[in-house]
Amino acid sequence: MQPDPGKCIWVVIAAYNEAGVIARVVAEVRRRGYTVLLIDDGSADATAATAEMVGAVVIRHPVNLGQGAALQTGIEFALHEGADVIVTFDADGQHRVADIDGLIGALAEHDADFALGSRFLGGAVNLPPARRLLLKAATWFTRITSGLSLTDTHNGFRAMTRRGARGIRLRQNRMAHASEFLNQVSASRLKYIEVPVTIEYSAYSLAKGQKLGNSLSILIDLSAESLHR
Amino acid sequence: MIAQLILTILLTSILLYSWIEYRRAPVIGVLSMLAAFTGLYFVWVPDHASWLAALVGIGRGVDLMLYLWVVISLIVLLNLHLKLRAQMEVITVLARELAIANARSAASPK
Repeated sequence: MQPDPGKCIWVVIAAYNEAGVIARVVAEVRRRGYTVLLIDDGSADATAATAEMVGAVVIRHPVNLGQGAALQTGIEFALHEGADVIVTFDADGQHRVADIDGLIGALAEHDADFALGSRFLGGAVNLPPARRLLLKAATWFTRITSGLSLTDTHNGFRAMTRRGARGIRLRQNRMAHASEFLNQVSASRLKYIEVPVTIEYSAYSLAKGQKLGNSLSILIDLSAESLHR
Repeated sequence: MIAQLILTILLTSILLYSWIEYRRAPVIGVLSMLAAFTGLYFVWVPDHASWLAALVGIGRGVDLMLYLWVVISLIVLLNLHLKLRAQMEVITVLARELAIANARSAASPK
């Protein structure tokens, strides 16, 4: 399935030091017919130049701010450029390009503003048991705090309509943005739908992914946010 | 008496700080106000500090005051952390504006 030619669809990829894999990831998404917006989050390597060479629109953060900050930059830029649908996609190659169609299709089919990828409805290839346990715990925590009935809460693979994206304003620069995103989805009262996606873990993506210690940082970040205006 | 006056000046300045911080971080403001008021009360009614210390198993009233001071310090530390976060948010907005402006100027025809 090719993207709807009548819709302006932007795939936002936040990347930090991903020069080794970014060309393949961007090229695959571009081959599918989508506009790729890569936010280079202050990489020290050739991530930005490599992505640009394979056809991505590139925005460079002057310093490393974190994935949440990069995604917010991408969402704001894509909205300004007239995006009708925005998809967030990981830079490390663990998301399947074919699943983008499913997410976008679900928005139209269910008249929803957010299509949230779920690896537990789809597939999680090579997911280590300890990581699975951590993700399940995070899911339960976020279900309680956001009030959303979801099966997977720390999945960066999602699609949103223009209306949905306008309701998102991520202030959590680092990994807590995933929970913050869902809290804002809940607060927006817009319709959301979960869509099965497959996440393929590789040694590379596992090395770059979240660690157990990050969970504590996420909890601190989320608590701190509630303490000040 | 001199110690009481010095402590009163210090705790009053914390009260002032709490009042200023209340607008930005209500939880921090209320916590530090409570701690400072409690401190002021015990400075001027030390017998009650000794009574409360004995009640909660601390031992001496002066130890209770010391713990109270540690609590105030931790609250101030937490507030500093929150201020750093707020500054980071400002830096993020600036960096974002800069990044987007650079991307637009690079894309616009020369």
